[in-house]
Amino acid sequence: MNRREFGALATSALALGVMPFRASADETCQSPYMPMITGHEEYVYIWTLGVEGMGDEQDKMVTVDLRPDSATRGQVIHTLSVGGRNEAHHAGFNSDRRYLWAGGLDTNRIFIFDVHSNPAEPRLHKTIDTFVKDSGGCVGPHTFFALPGRMMITGLSNDDDHGGRTALVEYNDEGEYVATYWMPTADDMQGAVAVDGAVADGYGYDIRALIRKNIMLTSSFTGWSNYMMDFGQMLQDQEAMKRFGGTMVQWDLHTRQPKKVFSVPGAPLEVRFPWGPNANYAFTSAALTSKLWLIYEDDAGEWQAKAVADIGNPEDIPLPVDISLSADDQTLWVNTFLDGKTRLFDVSDPHNPKQVYEKQIASQVNMVSQSWDGKRVYFTSSLLGNWDKKGADDQQYLKAYDWNGTELVETFQIDFYEAQLGRAHLMLFGSAALYS
Amino acid sequence: MWRPGHRLVGLRGACAGVFLACAAPAFGSDGQQPLYAEAPIDPARCAVEDDSQGWAARALNRSLTPQLGLPAVPHPADNAPSIEKIELGRKLFFDRRLSINRTMSCAMCHVPEQGFTTWELQSAVGVEGRSVKRNSPTILNSAFLNPLFHDGRDVALETQFVAPLVARNEMANPSAGWVVAFLNRDDDYIGMFQQAFGADASLDRLGQALAAYQRTLVAGDSPFDRWRYGGDGTALDQAAARGFDLFTGKGECVACHLVGDQDAMFTDHAFHDTGYGFMREDQRQNPPKTTRVQLAPGVFVDVDFAHVAAVSAVREADLGRYEVTEDPADRWLFRTPTLRNIAMTRPYMHDGALNTLRDVLDFYNRGGPGHPGQSPLIRPLGLSEAELDDIEAFLNSLTSPNLDCLAAEARSHPPDNH
Repeated sequence: MNRREFGALATSALALGVMPFRASADETCQSPYMPMITGHEEYVYIWTLGVEGMGDEQDKMVTVDLRPDSATRGQVIHTLSVGGRNEAHHAGFNSDRRYLWAGGLDTNRIFIFDVHSNPAEPRLHKTIDTFVKDSGGCVGPHTFFALPGRMMITGLSNDDDHGGRTALVEYNDEGEYVATYWMPTADDMQGAVAVDGAVADGYGYDIRALIRKNIMLTSSFTGWSNYMMDFGQMLQDQEAMKRFGGTMVQWDLHTRQPKKVFSVPGAPLEVRFPWGPNANYAFTSAALTSKLWLIYEDDAGEWQAKAVADIGNPEDIPLPVDISLSADDQTLWVNTFLDGKTRLFDVSDPHNPKQVYEKQIASQVNMVSQSWDGKRVYFTSSLLGNWDKKGADDQQYLKAYDWNGTELVETFQIDFYEAQLGRAHLMLFGSAALYS
Repeated sequence: MWRPGHRLVGLRGACAGVFLACAAPAFGSDGQQPLYAEAPIDPARCAVEDDSQGWAARALNRSLTPQLGLPAVPHPADNAPSIEKIELGRKLFFDRRLSINRTMSCAMCHVPEQGFTTWELQSAVGVEGRSVKRNSPTILNSAFLNPLFHDGRDVALETQFVAPLVARNEMANPSAGWVVAFLNRDDDYIGMFQQAFGADASLDRLGQALAAYQRTLVAGDSPFDRWRYGGDGTALDQAAARGFDLFTGKGECVACHLVGDQDAMFTDHAFHDTGYGFMREDQRQNPPKTTRVQLAPGVFVDVDFAHVAAVSAVREADLGRYEVTEDPADRWLFRTPTLRNIAMTRPYMHDGALNTLRDVLDFYNRGGPGHPGQSPLIRPLGLSEAELDDIEAFLNSLTSPNLDCLAAEARSHPPDNH
C-alpha cells in the first residue's frame, strides 16, 4: 500500500466514524492511524540534544539496534547530526510511518527523516525552516501527531512575547503548511465552553485523538521564555512560575474546533487514550502539582476532568513527566524527573489508580516507551537542555528493561555522555519489516 | 484568529483566575478611585486620526517634538533622524535572524506590549536559554539616558547594541561583522540601507538606524506631567498628590529620582549603592534553606534549596558598576533608573527580583540591608502603610498615554523570523 492509498483509506474510515487500525501501533501511545510493527521492535530512534564540548555538539538522531539476535543489539549503530542545537524535543511518524518528523523547540526547525529507505540508517529528507512564518507566529513545534495524510503539530509558544499562548499547526505529509488553529483564550473562546469556571489560558503541549468519539485533547505547558531558561533560576523566579498552563482543551477532530476547556492546574503534559472499544477516557499528569488526571466521558455523555491520584509526594515536586499506558489499558507507567523514578499504576479502575510498583531508574528520568506486549520498557533521561540536572546527577542514557509482571530487569544501557552523543530525549521504534 | 493585538486583552482575562499577581490599579490611602487606571498595553487600542503619512512619519515627528514633562530628544549631530532610518531601525529591532541561530531578536527581551521590557521574567534569557543575570531594562525614554545599562557600560544608543549582538548569553553572533555581512546579502536590507544612508550596511549605520528608532520611543504626558507641567490641577487625584509630596519630602526619593522645574526624568544618571546589590550577592552566596515555589494558582510549596540547586547552573555574581571600572569603590553600585512608566515595567531592580512597586517601596522604607558601604541616602524612612499607598499612587500616575500606539508602531510589520 502506498502512502496516498493508505491516507485515502484512513480518511474514508475516519469519515465513517470507525477506527481502521485499532491495534496499529507498537509503542502504545502512537497515532491509531499508523501501521504497526508485528513482532519485536528492531530499532529505537532517539532524538538527542547536542551538548557544547561533547562530540560534534549538534542535535542528532541516534539509532540503537534492538534486534534480539543481532550482534550489535544494545549498541548505537547510526547517528545523523542536523546542525546546531535546536532544543531537540519530541518527534512523531507520519501516518504511513515512512517519515519521522522531529522538532526543535528553540529554533523552530522541523527535520523530516526518511526511515523507510533504510530503517537502520535514517537520512534527512527535508527540513522545514518556516514554521513560525507559515503558522503566523506559532513557536516551539512540540508533538507531531499523525492524521491521515496530515501532521498535526502542537506549539508551545508564540512569536510576539514568547509566552505560553500558542496554536495547533497542520501540515500535509509533503511538508506543506495547511492551517493554524490558535488555542482558545478567555477573551476568544472560539465557540468553546469553559467547564466549571476554567479560564482558557491559550497554552499548549501534547495532543492525542480518540477517533471513534471524534475528539482531540490538548494539554498545556509553558512558553519559550520558561522552557528555555535554567530550571533552578525559573523555580526562583516568581514571575516565571506564574506562567504555566492549567487547562486542557477538547476539540472536534473533524472540524478542528475547540469544544470544551477544562481546568487542570499545574501543567498537564502527555495525553494518553486507552485502546479498549468502550474506554472513553484519557490520562494526563500535571507536572507541577504531581497529580494524575482523568478526562472522561460521564454517564450523560459529557466529558469531564478530575484528579484521580497523587504521584509520589506532591510537596517534594517529583515532577511527573512521560507516561505510558499499556495496550490492555490496565497499567500506566509514570516517570518522575526529579527523583529519577518510574512508578507503575494499576489503572484497571481508571477513576481509582493505585501505585503497585516503583523503581529508581537513575538520578533523573524523562521518557518511557513500552513495547506493544508490555514486556520491554525503555527509558531516556533528558527533559530540556536547561532543565536537566547539573554535575554528576546529569546522567544521560538509554536504559532497556524486561518487565516480567513484577519487576523491571535491566537488559542493557547506553551512557549517552560516555558515547559523546548528548542528552537522550524522545524514543520511537522502527522496523524494516514495515517496508518489506 | 488570534492576532498580536488580542494577546494582552487575553491576559486581562487570565488575570481573573490564573495569574494571581497581575497588577491592579493602585488606590490611594483614602480608597479613592485613581484618575488613571493601569491597564495592559494593547496595540489594538491605538487610535490615530490621520494615518496618511504612515507610522514612521508620526514617530519621526514625536522624536522631534518635546512632550509634556520631557526635554527635547537629544539627537547626535551625525545621526539626524529620518523616516527611512526609523523604519530600518524597527525592522532590525524585530529581526530574529540577527542571532547565531536565527532565533533571538532585540524585541524578545524588549516586548512592546510589556513596556518594552518583559513582565514574565525577572532576568533575561538569551540564545539557547542562556541566563542573563540582569533584568531587561525598558527602552522607553532610553533616548534621554546617559550612560546606558544598569552598570553604565555604554554611553550612546549608536554603540550600545554591539554588546548584546555578540554576547554569548544574548544574541551570540560570531562577530558584529558577520551580522553586517548578512545585511549586505539581504535584498530587503540592501534597499533599506541605501534609502536611509545612501550606502551599504556598516556597523556604524546599523547602530544609527537602531538608535533612530529607539529615539522615537519617547513617552511623557503622563497624568503627573499634566498636573505639574500642564497646569491641570485635576490630573492627579488626592492620593497621588500626597504621594508626590512624600516623594519629594519625607521619602526623599527625589534625591536620586530628580524632578526639575520644566521637566523630569526621575533619574540623576548616577550610580548608587542602595544596599540591594550587596544583599542579593549575599543571598546568592548564602541561599536560604528553602525557597517558596508556586506550582499552580494558589498552590505553593517550600522547596529544599538543595533540590533547586540540583537543577541550577551557577548564577553569576553581579558587582554592578565595578564590572565596568574595576574600581573597588564601585562595587554594588547601579545606575538610578527612571521612574517614568514604572507601573508598566515590572519586575523591578537590576535583577528583577522584586515583583511589585510595593516590594520596592518596602525595601527602601526599611532602609536597605544596612551594609557598611551603603549610601547614606538609604536609611529607614518611617513611612506608614497609608503613606506608602500614596507614594504608590503617585508612581502609578507616571504612565504615559501613548504606550498603545508605540506598541502598534512596533507591530506595524510582522517580525522577520525565517
